[in-house]
Amino acid sequence: MAETVAETKVETSIGIPWNVVVHDDPVNLMSYVTMVFQRVFGYSKEKAQHHMLEVHYKGRSIVWTGARERAEFYVQQLHGYLLLATLEKVQ
Amino acid sequence: MVIRRQEENGIELADIEPIEADLLRQVPAVCESGESGRSQERLFSKPADASEAQFLNDWDEYVRPELRHLFLSAKNTFSEDLAQLASGPGKLGRVVVPKAHADAWLNALNQARLILATKFNFTDRELSMHERPKWFSRRDMILQQINFYAEIQERIIGVVMDE
Repeated sequence: MAETVAETKVETSIGIPWNVVVHDDPVNLMSYVTMVFQRVFGYSKEKAQHHMLEVHYKGRSIVWTGARERAEFYVQQLHGYLLLATLEKVQ
Repeated sequence: MVIRRQEENGIELADIEPIEADLLRQVPAVCESGESGRSQERLFSKPADASEAQFLNDWDEYVRPELRHLFLSAKNTFSEDLAQLASGPGKLGRVVVPKAHADAWLNALNQARLILATKFNFTDRELSMHERPKWFSRRDMILQQINFYAEIQERIIGVVMDE
């Protein structure tokens, strides 16, 4: 019985979606941020610009949501481009 | 200075004035000056809040050295490309950036801009101002330097993303 409970907990933890959040930064150029979103996520220019503008005007944008491992990978990629990016559990 | 795409070789920076050449040559030194606390905090920002302690520890141990290597490598590529640049009184410089080096240039210029902006505490408003300053303090000169690097980034992005 105890084993079953433990397994359920692990499963629940793995299933939780995570957000990749990009935060506003006065230095990074709008065109640069758009280019990074296109490259890292494969977004169209329109979708990349939408997220870039959200970052610019609202201070942050959830640019991707999904499995933890993939989210960690994306955050690392974004840091490689010197963007302010964090990983957040979906509330 | 003019920046244009070259069909075969990549991106050409031509007619580089001596003062522009000086600013370009400062990029590696600015990148190297980013070893202090606040610049380091900006270059290696936290990828999660404190509740993710294990993730943050792993990040510092495994990811941060990779990022450091990436930034160093970009700076070195920039320096090597810039070695082509010979300019002097009455002589305009020229550099050809291979297409494969465009990301390294964008990264090195971004490092330099982030470090300068952090060191001199530039605000969002100041960084988005493009009017000519009334007088040139050191701070105004640094802002011009940041904007000069931004202009080069814009042109490189234009060339890279127009493919």
